[in-house]
Amino acid sequence: MPEASLSAPASRPRTCSKISAVLLPLLSALVWILAWQFAVWWFSISPVLAPAPSQVISILFSAEIHNLASHGLYTGLEATAGFILALVLGLGLALTISRYGWLRDMIYPYLIGFQVVPKLALAPLFVLWFGIGLTSRVAFASFICFFPIVIAGIAGLCSISPSIIQMCRSVGASEAQILYQVRLPSAIRYIFAGMKIAATMSIIGVVIAEFISADKGLGYLILFASSNANTPIVVTSIVLLCVIGLLLYGSVAIAEKRFLARYAG
Amino acid sequence: MNKATEVQKLKADESTAMRATGFNQSGEARELAVPDYINIVGVRKVYNPGPAEVEAVSSVSLRITSGDFVSIIGPSGCGKSSLLMMVAGLENPTEGTITISGRPVLKPSDKTGVMFQDSTLLPWKTALENVLFPIVIQRRMSALFNERAIQLLNAVGLGKFIDTRPAELSGGMKQRVAICRALIQDPSLLLMDEPFSALDAISRDDLGELLLNLWQKTHKTALFVTHSIREAVFLSDRVIVMAPRPSRIIADVKIPFGRPRNTAVQETAEYAKLCANLRAQIGSQHA
Repeated sequence: MPEASLSAPASRPRTCSKISAVLLPLLSALVWILAWQFAVWWFSISPVLAPAPSQVISILFSAEIHNLASHGLYTGLEATAGFILALVLGLGLALTISRYGWLRDMIYPYLIGFQVVPKLALAPLFVLWFGIGLTSRVAFASFICFFPIVIAGIAGLCSISPSIIQMCRSVGASEAQILYQVRLPSAIRYIFAGMKIAATMSIIGVVIAEFISADKGLGYLILFASSNANTPIVVTSIVLLCVIGLLLYGSVAIAEKRFLARYAG
Repeated sequence: MNKATEVQKLKADESTAMRATGFNQSGEARELAVPDYINIVGVRKVYNPGPAEVEAVSSVSLRITSGDFVSIIGPSGCGKSSLLMMVAGLENPTEGTITISGRPVLKPSDKTGVMFQDSTLLPWKTALENVLFPIVIQRRMSALFNERAIQLLNAVGLGKFIDTRPAELSGGMKQRVAICRALIQDPSLLLMDEPFSALDAISRDDLGELLLNLWQKTHKTALFVTHSIREAVFLSDRVIVMAPRPSRIIADVKIPFGRPRNTAVQETAEYAKLCANLRAQIGSQHA
């Protein structure tokens, strides 16, 4: 008890800064939304050009939301599937490459070189290859996510100090043991950094793929609504895409926290 | 508990731990000394063979008696670490052979414990898990080793830090954990590559003393690479001096101090003279 009362004055500034760390960004968002609302009203901007925040909010709370949510669910599932597929394939390739030096020399330059390719431009090819169904959209999303995961994975797996590798060899560790018991745990931080980039990119991938061919999903809805000049639906869809992005990114961040507690030391 | 009794208790813990871990074979080990336990014959090591080759070790022959504590000193680039890595089986000689107990060294052996310049602890493992790492790698984990690891940690004064991760340990404490890890399999040979060079002067002296005490109780053969002349003279039965370009042995000095030895040795005139003499030998190569 006396300890608690002793620490109270010291913790007050910290709680203050914690509250302000949450409140201040919320405040700036509120100011921005109000300014937007005010500008739309003051300049009497047509909702086709820029719908007011109030309009977006009213859509979010109308019966329309069921339709939007079902499209959102579809996009979210596609993005998640693409992300998980990329994670499995990307980590698999990173582990394989790190295991065999010659394979690394053979493939790694192209993985880096592929960064130059504007990958979004390949979206129409995926429709050609995988058809107009869900497969092509998931495949394209995982193609987009794959590279950040592989490259971060390889960087992480190679990040360990040479002296630790020597120590492992001195106690008789096999290459596979070094890879799975030492290099993989020490790559966790890198892998999650790659996964965070991939999580947001997978949504971009799905939306682009939905632009090209889809009859469901928020990308499809955005394209359809904008061709009908229904900008409020477009903006609401974008808001929902942000929510999906936050959910996916947030799950990765939570997983990262757990893994780091176990493996960061 | 006051400081004196605490120290006493620590010492008591240490000796119990030593007995329990089968480290108390001092007498016989010395009598059964094998004169060429380690036999290094005409060893040469070249990295990157070809036009850009680097000759790390030119031609080194050396015999080491079992139970001896031998230090190798010399300036950077004299090949002392390369030589140690070859004895550890982590590198293979380009020419020549190295045998331990008559068997050629081709790969790392569980009879050899190695310590490196940095502690090489795995940051996500606790002190205890780090000490047990070699056992886990070799899939030999048992309650017995667990017990032994705890006793070793107690013996180096880390009994309270068994479940602590390296990030929360000081540099000196990390090297203590590394000593325990090198000893967990009760190796007959302990190889150390400048294990204290990254530490501050005080931790360095502490660890030197700790190592001396541990070693005097066990009489393993020890090969110790260092930059420090004082450390080498204090710890060793024999000091090998190496010189660079071409990398070779230029002196082999017997250290006459008896065992068991303690820090008082460092106050003697003979110690100062030995250090000065070795310094002169190393210095003459730099002219």
